[in-house]
Amino acid sequence: MNGSLRKFYGGFTALGLLVGVLVIVAYHQDQHRQWKAYQRQFVQAEIRRAATPPQRALAERTPIQIRQILLPELSRVDRCTTCHLAVEDPSYGGYPQPLAYHPLHDQHPFEKFGCTICHRGQGRATTVAEAHGNVPHWDSPMLPLKYTQASCGQCHQAADNPAAPELARGEQVFETSGCRGCHKLGGVGGGLGPELDKVGARRSPEWLNKHFLAPATVTPGSGMPPQKFSAPDLQAITLFMLSQTGESVPGFYASMKVIPSASEGRRLFGQKGCIGCHSIGGQGGKIGPALDDVGLRRSPEWMVQHLRDPQAVSPGTVMPRFGFAEGEARALTDFLVHLRDQKVALTLPSLMNPIERGRGIFGTYGCVGCHGPEGKGGVPNPNAKTAEQVPALTYVADGYSKDELRKFILNGQHEITPLDPKRPPPPLYMPAWRDTIKDAEIDDLMAYLFSLKPKGEDLGF
Amino acid sequence: MNAPLPKRLWHWLERTRVGRSVFRVGLPQSNLERSQAMVSSFLLHVQPAKVSRHALKPGYTLGLGLISLYLFLLLVGTGVLLMFCYVPSTDRAYDAMKDLQFVVSAGLVVRNMHRWAAHLMVIFVLLHLCRVFFTGAYKRPREFNWLIGTALLLLTLGLSFTGYLLPWDQLAFWAITVGTNIAGYAPFVGLRLKFLLMGGNVVGQEALIRFYALHVIVLPGIASLLVAIHLWRVRKDGGLSRPDEPADLVAQIELSQLPTNKTYGLMELARGTTPQVGRNPEDEVFSWPHLVFREVLLFLAVVAVVLFLAIFWNAPLEEMANAIHPPNPAKAPWYFLGLQELVSYSALWGGVVVPGVLVLALVLLPYLDRGRQGVGRWFARERAVANTIFALCLVVAIALTVIGSLFRGPNWSWQEPWKQPPALTERS
Repeated sequence: MNGSLRKFYGGFTALGLLVGVLVIVAYHQDQHRQWKAYQRQFVQAEIRRAATPPQRALAERTPIQIRQILLPELSRVDRCTTCHLAVEDPSYGGYPQPLAYHPLHDQHPFEKFGCTICHRGQGRATTVAEAHGNVPHWDSPMLPLKYTQASCGQCHQAADNPAAPELARGEQVFETSGCRGCHKLGGVGGGLGPELDKVGARRSPEWLNKHFLAPATVTPGSGMPPQKFSAPDLQAITLFMLSQTGESVPGFYASMKVIPSASEGRRLFGQKGCIGCHSIGGQGGKIGPALDDVGLRRSPEWMVQHLRDPQAVSPGTVMPRFGFAEGEARALTDFLVHLRDQKVALTLPSLMNPIERGRGIFGTYGCVGCHGPEGKGGVPNPNAKTAEQVPALTYVADGYSKDELRKFILNGQHEITPLDPKRPPPPLYMPAWRDTIKDAEIDDLMAYLFSLKPKGEDLGF
Repeated sequence: MNAPLPKRLWHWLERTRVGRSVFRVGLPQSNLERSQAMVSSFLLHVQPAKVSRHALKPGYTLGLGLISLYLFLLLVGTGVLLMFCYVPSTDRAYDAMKDLQFVVSAGLVVRNMHRWAAHLMVIFVLLHLCRVFFTGAYKRPREFNWLIGTALLLLTLGLSFTGYLLPWDQLAFWAITVGTNIAGYAPFVGLRLKFLLMGGNVVGQEALIRFYALHVIVLPGIASLLVAIHLWRVRKDGGLSRPDEPADLVAQIELSQLPTNKTYGLMELARGTTPQVGRNPEDEVFSWPHLVFREVLLFLAVVAVVLFLAIFWNAPLEEMANAIHPPNPAKAPWYFLGLQELVSYSALWGGVVVPGVLVLALVLLPYLDRGRQGVGRWFARERAVANTIFALCLVVAIALTVIGSLFRGPNWSWQEPWKQPPALTERS
């Protein structure tokens, strides 16, 4: 019996050792984490930079531990600072990553914003690859630095953000290139292409770039015409698309949607009807003073006070109290101060003539996309009877009365007469704009369309 | 005494007042003490003092039942650890997985062990079923234990399935969506059952909390109870099945005759089943050490394998669950892919007929197949017909599962695994 037991002892020893070794391997794997090496690197840097013995002692006592920013409102935990330890220390400016200093702390204190709300990536992760998010099964990898501005659009209006000029440019490219002709964004636009409200969360910058230049290479069978964007425009529109994530930011983060800026002030100026009493460049009401050189007469502080509570600053004034918030008053002030050195006033919708407003509407709703810049046509629509192109609008004034044209725009034309009934029907059609373009806008739009006809020409319809 | 130091230490320990109070018998030195050791220890007394050599043959049982039990114990242990971190909320479950991976000490390896042990348990419980079938071990007097085993198989699948949802990632969400849809095909009760299970018509917070409660308390509780009964029944049914079982074994059990003719009979007051009933006492050995040592060895081996898998392969975790982005194809957990493959031909057959007939066949088997021939031997010639039918079913089930797992691509179309599927990923 003892002889047969001996083999058991051998088995116990072998398997016991194996389990022991495996436990040690598992423990080793668990203890040796990538971030610890970076933290030791940081401690070494701190020790090197210590000027006095107490500082040195303090540096040596730096604990090696996970660091994280808890962002309950955003449902995020950002552990980026576990490796990027010096983001808040300006003396680390110019240090190589991961120990570089990060500016902008004043506007976006990291303890309130974390990192991933702007940079994306995987905040909970503590390895380089996982944290930067370039791994399978993580939808939101870090944005390349040149696209980080896209994230500004999460909390701030794209066009009104002075710190994100590329994002504003992207929005402008979007609104003037006719994208809305086929794509809906925020519920406005055509139905030929997919909606773009969440495109920024689905697509990568590389995909978007490729897609703009040659849609069919990344989406086989795509009917979208290739876009001829300049390099800066391409980057800007890609950036603007990336900003459309469909995510909503809660509470505190949404409160800064409007950054006080001249463009926001211009929007408010038009919206609140200031021009009814005040004039700019000789146009507008005469009840209140002309505002052309108000920036020379008044200090910005006075203007903010005045806008918020006119009676308090100018007793007896007839200007009503509009109830502007602090940010709105600042934006308006910004706009008024800059009236002299910028020709911003000229783009105020209420100061433009209907034709100019109509041109804007022509761009906003994406008519450009199919009818070409200035309605000159040239966009292919295979098998359409009209020379296999979307018709130009240059001579629309000759073919339609105002009423006919209004009806046509409102109702659209779903069936486009084919050139050859045997071939597939033309892909592009005129959508019904009834619920999209507002009534007041239609008048401006028609004024613009009728103005397209070259002066002095008459085809004699 | 020239015994090695650990052994001397142990002998000193068991002779102290405290040691005697704990161990009572100590390391057994004589056959009497070997029997006493087995009955005086809570953990050991489940087993008889002596076992037949046949039951110890590795080639007979392959240790499959014991391996399943060890995996279950490992799963309970790691599962309790995971419960300290996990929150069954759709907002926090996925984050808990990430925290386990990135910041919880040993979190990843514990989760990996739980995952791989769960898959292994499904496999080993099925293998155990095959072993019991091919050796005819479900026959009288063991019919009821076969039923308990069938229940334990279903519980194992239920445990694995309910646990599958908890990480709340895409894999979990869509596997459970598909799996519960298959359950919904059952006539009359299917949709009601599905609603009861999920607390709604779609997988959401209600489903998560129900699956969690089932996974951590209801199913493990029932399974523990049934495992205990399963083991107790093994003893009461005369130990493991063997070819030379006395013909009167069944009669003895059913007539409640008690054995009285052995000195250690007092320790084995099992009804008429105990090893001494066998004609040949020489064919038995003392459980200590022959059985106990083997069991400890096997336990170490199981722990080693699970640890090895857990160290080198991470449990899958995909994107967070997203109800509006189904993967294509969405697949059930692997052990239901045979059914899903069938459902792709016919919902009635895959969702109702085949699983219903299979479970019914398992339940009725010991009462339909009543011959006493060929018990205790693998692939006994006398059982050729039954074994062939079972083997055929097994081959078909494995083939369907392999096809469903590896050969089905987007839209459930045929897709050889060695060919690159057409790119469906949206990100470049």
